[in-house]
Amino acid sequence: MIKPLLQGLKITLTHLFKKPVTLQYPTERPQIEARFRGLHALKVAHSSAKCVACYLCPTVCPAKCITVEAGEDAQHNKYAEKYEIDMLRCIFCGYCVEACPVDALKMTGEFELANYKRSDFVFTKERLLEK
Amino acid sequence: MVNLTIDDKQVTVPKNTTIFDAAKAAGIRIPILCHDKKLNPFGGCRMCLVEVEQMKGRQIPACTTPVTEGMIVRTMTDEIAKARKLVLELLLLKHPVDCPVCDAAGDCDLQNLTYEYQVNSNRFTDEKFHHAIDYDNPLIERDMNRCIHCGKCARICDEIVSFGAYTFISRGIEAKMGTQFDGPLNCEFCGSCVSVCPVGALLARPFKFKARWWAMDKVKSVCSYCGTGCQLTLGVKDNKVLTTIYDENQGFHNGQLCTRGRFAYQFVNSDKRLTTPLMKKNGALVEVTWDEALNAVQQRLASAKTAGDVAGLVTPRLTNEELFVFKKLFKDGLGSENYDHSAGYAHSALSKGAVESIGVAASSAVIADIQKTGLLLVVKSDAYETHPVVGFEINLGVKRKDVDLRIISDKKGKLTKLPGAKTYLNIPGTETLLVNALAKTLVDENLVDAAAASITGFEEWKKSLDGAAPEQVAGICGLTADEIKTLARDYVKAEKALLLLPLGLGYPGHTKELAQALFNLSFAAGKHGKEGCGVLLLAEKNNSQGAVDLGLYPVAGGKDAAAIIDGCAAGSIKTLYVAGENLVVSYPNRKKVEAALDKVDFLIVQDLFLSETAALADVVLPACSFAEKEGTFTSAGKAVQKVNRAIKPVGQAKSDFEIFNTLYVNLSGKPAVADPKAAFAEITASVPAYAGLTYETLGDAGVVVVPAMTPKFAVAPGAAPTAEVGKMALVTGSALYHCGTMSLYGEGPMHVCPAGYVEIGREDAKRLTVQDDDLVTVTSAAGAVKLKVKVGSRMPEGVVFAPYHFADQSVNSIASGESVTWVTISK
Repeated sequence: MIKPLLQGLKITLTHLFKKPVTLQYPTERPQIEARFRGLHALKVAHSSAKCVACYLCPTVCPAKCITVEAGEDAQHNKYAEKYEIDMLRCIFCGYCVEACPVDALKMTGEFELANYKRSDFVFTKERLLEK
Repeated sequence: MVNLTIDDKQVTVPKNTTIFDAAKAAGIRIPILCHDKKLNPFGGCRMCLVEVEQMKGRQIPACTTPVTEGMIVRTMTDEIAKARKLVLELLLLKHPVDCPVCDAAGDCDLQNLTYEYQVNSNRFTDEKFHHAIDYDNPLIERDMNRCIHCGKCARICDEIVSFGAYTFISRGIEAKMGTQFDGPLNCEFCGSCVSVCPVGALLARPFKFKARWWAMDKVKSVCSYCGTGCQLTLGVKDNKVLTTIYDENQGFHNGQLCTRGRFAYQFVNSDKRLTTPLMKKNGALVEVTWDEALNAVQQRLASAKTAGDVAGLVTPRLTNEELFVFKKLFKDGLGSENYDHSAGYAHSALSKGAVESIGVAASSAVIADIQKTGLLLVVKSDAYETHPVVGFEINLGVKRKDVDLRIISDKKGKLTKLPGAKTYLNIPGTETLLVNALAKTLVDENLVDAAAASITGFEEWKKSLDGAAPEQVAGICGLTADEIKTLARDYVKAEKALLLLPLGLGYPGHTKELAQALFNLSFAAGKHGKEGCGVLLLAEKNNSQGAVDLGLYPVAGGKDAAAIIDGCAAGSIKTLYVAGENLVVSYPNRKKVEAALDKVDFLIVQDLFLSETAALADVVLPACSFAEKEGTFTSAGKAVQKVNRAIKPVGQAKSDFEIFNTLYVNLSGKPAVADPKAAFAEITASVPAYAGLTYETLGDAGVVVVPAMTPKFAVAPGAAPTAEVGKMALVTGSALYHCGTMSLYGEGPMHVCPAGYVEIGREDAKRLTVQDDDLVTVTSAAGAVKLKVKVGSRMPEGVVFAPYHFADQSVNSIASGESVTWVTISK
């Protein structure tokens, strides 16, 4: 009877001197891998979003959380007048990034998405632009 | 019939069928880029290559090769797939592959085939095209970098529209689809080229970047502009009608549309739509609730019922079902027969003329007869302008079926330019005299059909033609006696001959008498009741024929539209219910109409927009457009077709059906008509021609109803308008781009034809020293209006033309319902 008890204490004692597996968040930050699928970002080239509003991401999105509205600029080119992602619905599958024909979208390491209001979870184009 | 085998399937098709069509009939799909159902074979894209065993396995184009007896065809082998892949690789060599920003993506033949044949890489490399993109017009964008040189746009514009805006220019690698002098596009803007373009080289600009093809719901419906009854497919997304989608299998017209049908759908989701009921309080219209508005209307109608001073004017743009409930509301709910539509005169050719001549308010021919006839006599070249898609049928008839086209008109027009067409320019207003002179020629030269003598009223009619001999009226009509006689002889000698007459608010001269004269002529020549023969009366609005079928005009003692206006002015009508009509702009004599409406104690207007008439109302009720409701329209060709609901009502708008129904229940105490389907069932029970029809039998294609006819000669005297010395003859009518006043809320027509104008011939313009776009004052006895000048070669000397649609430069402020208005023009 005493034997298993000692065995248990042994395990506890060995763990006392090991490096802890938990992080002291938020003082300690996790290391984010490059392939991590966090908050989306719209890539920028020549000081404007690369997105051409082709609607492939809202088409492929299984959660239907992306809203795009295309507009015509002064040079008659297509651009996203409105680009919104509802983070409450997003399932971070990354299909949008995969579908993008012009490599205009990426997923960042940003994972701290908590907010106070539902409306704040809708990320508009301005909030999504690559910083 | 020819028997052949396609992919081990036995197929029997008529002689002269191509392999492509034979395969299609057998349900075998052959890919193709340069062919469309209505076009002649071209053989340009080489995608439809097939192997025929008898031709030693050579690859031949299916679209240009006629079938022969015992042919054994293979539509897909490894060799064929390889050849097609090569064709696609060569096309993709120059194509920019900018699918993400191209509106055609999803509906692009090149894209679909590239995917199907898995063209993932290209063996060749070359520079792309660097053509400038044409953004010069607001409707059609031409990006020739995407063009695959299939030539469909040029062929449809030439073969069907007969305009010829496009042609290939330059040679070899520099070849491209070009316009006149490679300049900006300047055409009718019907958008037929856009509809057939297999890629995104031609795009509809009003729809540019609005939505992707796959994201839209496609709802089949019927165009709500003119009486042609073109079927269309609406592209709908987020409760908005965003575009019209081409479907080559729709309707007699195979999906072809005109400017209005294709580019004027925006009125449905216009910002100007009425979204709440309005009521006049302290002299201004303010927003109120439906309850308040309907209560006011109901109370007023209840007291008007007792006083017997109520009348109604309704637009023939409503569905049959709505018109039916409107009639019920007036007859059973208000005990009144004072209701009418289209100013009374625009339907009189049908409701009075045809009723007396053939016993039913309908044409004695259908649209399909146009291509089956031998000689087509069109009264007024405007038939193309009022009903452009009927015009396409005429083009096809003349070009492909060798129809001998004759036009009696007061001005030249598009039809005049067709190959072999002969135009007889008559003095405006003398059409009836002229038609009677044609009939008189038949009588005098013993060319009258033997069977005609047994038709009721023959002798009396024959006698009435005394004094109508060509020699006597030739001078009055502005033609020579010989011309009239030759035309009459040609008409009677043709094996099949069809007469065509457009009707409408712009044509006060197209009356009962003119229609009857035409019917008489068809009886006398024995051109009645046979295929390709008869008289086709082209009613103006989408459901004008339906309104007449349902008897939406006073029959027993009620007041007609003119009498209602007079009654309002005299004070005998105190409550007027206007549903959808904009009489201030479209009825003759604006001053008189406005004064009459001012006198009305209580004016109820039910409309989509705050029209000039609605602005005068005491209560304005917001109604629904055709895209928001279910029902049926009956076309001028008597096709009963189903309209389907595409979007939810805009704002708080209610369908006319619902509004009429509520009032009907409350005023008559009888149970409501359950829904449009129930209303249609009641209609089929009361209108003989519609007997046996149901929504199910109508299906997507609709049904052409053929009413029973009993011919009768009716005396139809003609009279020439008395010319006023020193004045010019103003004829009114429809502009090609507009229909009624509703198209003013469509983007397409307003881009091409934004304002009223007066069209003057070159000689007159020289005499008056005016040029294009000069502002002139056109003065008649009724008033004056300032209009921009359009100088053209269509108008003969002494005759000017003005379209009637526009509110700001409204022609009805000078025209008062005579067939010809005499005017002076000054700078």
